[in-house]
Amino acid sequence: MAFVLGIDIGSAASKGILLNDQGMQASYECPSGGDFKLTAERIKKELLSQTQKSEKEISRTVATGYGSTLVAFADEVKPDMVCHGKGVSSLLPSVRTVIDVGDLYTKVLHIDGHGSMHNFLLSGKCAGGSGRILQVIAKVLHVKVEEIGELSLKSKKRIDFSTGCAVFAESEAISRLSQEVTKEDLLAGLHRALAAQINSLVERIGVEQDVAMVGGGARDVGLVQALKEVRNQDILVPPNPHMTAALGAALIAMEGLKDKIET
Amino acid sequence: MSETQSNIFNKIENDYKDYGFRAKELAKEGKKLIGHVCSFVPLEIITAAGCLPFRVRGDIHEPITKGDALLETIVCPYYRSVFDLSVKGKYDFLSGLVIPHGCDSMVRSYSAWSYSLPYSYFHFLNIPTVCVESSFEFFNAELNTFRRSLEKFVGRTITDHDLVQAIRIYNETRDRVRALYNLRKIDPPLLSGKELTMALTVGSSLPVDEFNALLDQVLAEVDRRGQSHLKKGPRILIDGACIDNIELINLVEELGGHVVADTICNGARDYFPRTDEGGNPIEALGRRYLDKVNCPKTYRENKTGTFEGDIASRFGDIGTYAKEFKVNGAILYVYKYCDPFGFEVPARKAYYQSINVPLLHLEDVYSAGTMGQLRTRIQAFLEMIG
Repeated sequence: MAFVLGIDIGSAASKGILLNDQGMQASYECPSGGDFKLTAERIKKELLSQTQKSEKEISRTVATGYGSTLVAFADEVKPDMVCHGKGVSSLLPSVRTVIDVGDLYTKVLHIDGHGSMHNFLLSGKCAGGSGRILQVIAKVLHVKVEEIGELSLKSKKRIDFSTGCAVFAESEAISRLSQEVTKEDLLAGLHRALAAQINSLVERIGVEQDVAMVGGGARDVGLVQALKEVRNQDILVPPNPHMTAALGAALIAMEGLKDKIET
Repeated sequence: MSETQSNIFNKIENDYKDYGFRAKELAKEGKKLIGHVCSFVPLEIITAAGCLPFRVRGDIHEPITKGDALLETIVCPYYRSVFDLSVKGKYDFLSGLVIPHGCDSMVRSYSAWSYSLPYSYFHFLNIPTVCVESSFEFFNAELNTFRRSLEKFVGRTITDHDLVQAIRIYNETRDRVRALYNLRKIDPPLLSGKELTMALTVGSSLPVDEFNALLDQVLAEVDRRGQSHLKKGPRILIDGACIDNIELINLVEELGGHVVADTICNGARDYFPRTDEGGNPIEALGRRYLDKVNCPKTYRENKTGTFEGDIASRFGDIGTYAKEFKVNGAILYVYKYCDPFGFEVPARKAYYQSINVPLLHLEDVYSAGTMGQLRTRIQAFLEMIG
């Protein structure tokens, strides 16, 4: 039985998925760190040990993400948006608009029923509107980034947060804390500001229903809720939304394998 | 001989990197070099005066340092880079500089150039913003003023005969460039966007007869290739202002695309329009520079009365190139704070939609530091249209 590997080296986190025609066999994620090559090797090793397989049993590897060109053992490199499209479509076939909130950028893409991308738009060149701000604020508040979503939902009196810029947000957060604003209200305000910024990107490219949110940012229930409120529309979130590019990469690897057998 | 021919692209690459190498030699021999920016400076008049026109370039690898003390950062980064290199002395071999009214940055900063740089000749060329009959009357007078100011600088008369000669030889350049562009209509193209744009960029630092000889060598070299050495890939049109650093085009081609057409200033905008021969040379130059150069800085009256008609007449050349060069997609590349292009982005987007050419809009800051971000976008775009 043929196994394929999809590997997504993101700017903050890296993810890998091992797939065969029965579906997903193993998945793994870790921080990308400073050496993308090493991270890629680590992911492969981890997935192989989880499944007790050997390297030879991986028939094809597709790499994606910011550090994808450094994955030495990849057979093919694909843009991450293309992979997100494939990954999301396999989980939620009705989706036509995908919002990927990553560490470095927020990306919005339109896909067809097969997950093929036909239009896309990225956020600006700074970290404004990307997921990086969530990590910055978690550090300021001394909470784990995984916890800020739940905290935000507990807010009783959301503050108006004026910036979506990751650099200014830090100083604004500190000045708000000195005004005795609670963590919950501050986070709710931040989520709202970030959601508004993401939404303006979404509006620029336009929306085709259904809409899904993926990437590390989609794991933050506070941010997802804020975006639903800003858009006044439902947004679907697949399980493990940060893994969809890795999943898409694995699916593309599987397609590549089939093409090879057919020819 | 054959060895020098096969090395023509190596020579171009070296001259591109050591930009102005030949111009500096000529300056040492006593030739007067006149720097210029933008597509609106009539090079024919400079050449007819016995001077060498030299396009001053920026450098995306060189951080802007000294320039920002004299020019505010609201000026577009391309123009700031050109200015920065100039005040750092890179173009000190020039005898003079001509700046046209190509955009607000050029008008407003003209005085900063003229008092910051050590050249002995400066001229500001007033280009009408509109293109109606009275504009030509005004512009022809403006061209004659330029002619007289150069005459005073070089101490000799520029005759109509000198102008006619210069017009002829510049048209010969344009015919050769057109022939080179035509070699990219083939799929895959016979020469890459990088090769062509580099050759044109180098040419803008050479005397026109040497440029023509260089183009002949390039044509002969490509002819000897017989067939393309490139792999098939998406055929891309680059739409934008002056892209005088090769990195963007190189990036598209590294990622598997081919730049086969463009509207850029150091490309089709400069080299496609010919000057009419046979009539009054100043009037012919007036027509060519004001009407035939299609730049967003010129306001053109909407004669159709509809938005669709307006964009079709303003951007029709893009549609023609897209068809002629069988383009699969276009990249609209705009510098931050470039007001002429910036204002037009929505209308241009609408035009691309109307002709069904997929478009990637990139805004950039004229710095090599953004290449990673551009790579992400271009890679996804090529994958999407490929």
